[in-house]
Amino acid sequence: MKVRFWGVRGYVPTPDAAMLRYGGNTCCTAVTGDQGELIVLDTGTGFCMLGDELMQGEFGRGRGTLTLLISHTYWDHILGLPFPGVVHIPGNRLDIYGPDSTRGSLQMVYDGMLSPVYSPVFGLAHIGATHRFTPISTEPFIVGQLTIRAMPLSYRPHSPIWAYRLEERGRVLVYITDVRYGESGIREAAIAFARNAHVLIHSAPYLRAEEVEDYGHSRIEDAIETAQAADVERLVLFHHAPTRTDDELDAIVDRLRQMLAAQGSALQLLAAAEGMELVV
Amino acid sequence: MRVRIWGTRGSYPVAHAHMLRYGGNTTCVEVEAEGHCIILDAGTGLRMLSEALQRLPAQPRQYDLLITHTHWDHIIGFPFFAPLFDPNVSLDIYGLARTQSSLRTTLAGALSDPLFPLQFDDLRAQLNFFEIGAGSEFELGPVKVRTALANHPYRALAYRLETSRGVLTFIPDTGPFHTVLFGEQRIEWAGQPTARSQSELRELAAMKEAILELAYGADWLIYDAQFTDAQYARFPHWGHSSASQAREIAEAAQVRQLILFHHDPHRTDTELDQIVAKQQSLAVPGLLVTAAFEGMELERRP
Repeated sequence: MKVRFWGVRGYVPTPDAAMLRYGGNTCCTAVTGDQGELIVLDTGTGFCMLGDELMQGEFGRGRGTLTLLISHTYWDHILGLPFPGVVHIPGNRLDIYGPDSTRGSLQMVYDGMLSPVYSPVFGLAHIGATHRFTPISTEPFIVGQLTIRAMPLSYRPHSPIWAYRLEERGRVLVYITDVRYGESGIREAAIAFARNAHVLIHSAPYLRAEEVEDYGHSRIEDAIETAQAADVERLVLFHHAPTRTDDELDAIVDRLRQMLAAQGSALQLLAAAEGMELVV
Repeated sequence: MRVRIWGTRGSYPVAHAHMLRYGGNTTCVEVEAEGHCIILDAGTGLRMLSEALQRLPAQPRQYDLLITHTHWDHIIGFPFFAPLFDPNVSLDIYGLARTQSSLRTTLAGALSDPLFPLQFDDLRAQLNFFEIGAGSEFELGPVKVRTALANHPYRALAYRLETSRGVLTFIPDTGPFHTVLFGEQRIEWAGQPTARSQSELRELAAMKEAILELAYGADWLIYDAQFTDAQYARFPHWGHSSASQAREIAEAAQVRQLILFHHDPHRTDTELDQIVAKQQSLAVPGLLVTAAFEGMELERRP
């Protein structure tokens, strides 16, 4: 399978000349299976750019199908979904998996986001493409040749946050975002879930030394520790802080790589950039 | 009266190398008059204003936020406005009164789990909500404010801000006033103008009249120009105008400077340059045509 990053910024899009190399659009990652299955992880504003590209193919003719895996419904992971033309073209089909909240099912939450006070769409009923919602569970499911597993990584009932593990022919991609390691048992669960991944995409906005109020969000060092404990081959940091410039991120990655080298760690470290492609 | 534009984009924020000059943040405009800070809309440009305020030696303690409507692109900067977390700040928020949901409920719903990791109770500033309608008139410090209804899905407000040092009219989202009348219901668009009753035609004409009055003689008219004419023809049901439609309103209202606004998220800097040049070449003498860019400042010359 192949991975392409369409949005790597956390919290809020940052149209800033000093942040363009890594990119300023919010979380969206596309995975393409060996048979061409399209699986999208989260739909921040990066999804608007992905949607524009999809318009050139089958989706432009109303014959496209994609699987959408939603980790959670905070703005930076979902707000891009209603905008691209592909979701308004009848015939296109989106199979959407994600967590229900105690405040409503994923479908209700999304429908609420499209209600007329917030959106000119006036609700999910008026979206052209077929949207099929499936509440996520820990039961594995199959998309084409890929096996997908999901795991809750937060106990907060109003805002459940789930991680995903995609496997194809023995190759493993794991996606962990907005995890709060302060909650009891979460670190161990994340490590077990990421075990032996060839690629781990992990949110990593701030360093521990940075004094930022961040709702308990994991730090960059947490991502490295999880990757090491889970024997991950390549760790891709994403969900970059909105204040982080390209040069700062370069320096952080350089320093962390030196630290890993000094430890004799085999972990390969990357920072996700818009447009970056990886073969898992 | 000094106007600064912090966010110019419509629909959604976009970080793109070919759109940086006009800017990728969504709508937010700051008006400063005799130390009074008035903010028009809370798109992601508000985060930029917030950062600029943090760099000042002393920040205002009181802000007025005038919201045209609560579509996402006009409110997604709200929680990134640092003064919200300062107990010494008070923020007066104005927006359209609706029967279905209060302004406070609408903003709180957007800001709470499972959409955002905040609650209104987490905000430390004193928030006061003022639900207003079309034709409202009030004063904010030295600034006289007047409102009218814009022609946009589920309705939106337009604002006129006036002091002895300048007049700004802000109409970031509106369709023109001939094809579709927007209201509380979704408009189904089948590629033809929807059948209109005489009462709808009268309402459109009255709405246009009120908009022209709101813009009349303004120094600066910030106006929806999301679409090209070709886009408008395909998507009139989204409630936006083209640059030529914006210019026609500016001419009819005899404004001095038109500031094209709410740029389509696909519109590149080069395309906007061309749109401005074309509309300027078509404009009546005396009308300056410009397009809003992030960081644009407007002030009447002494």
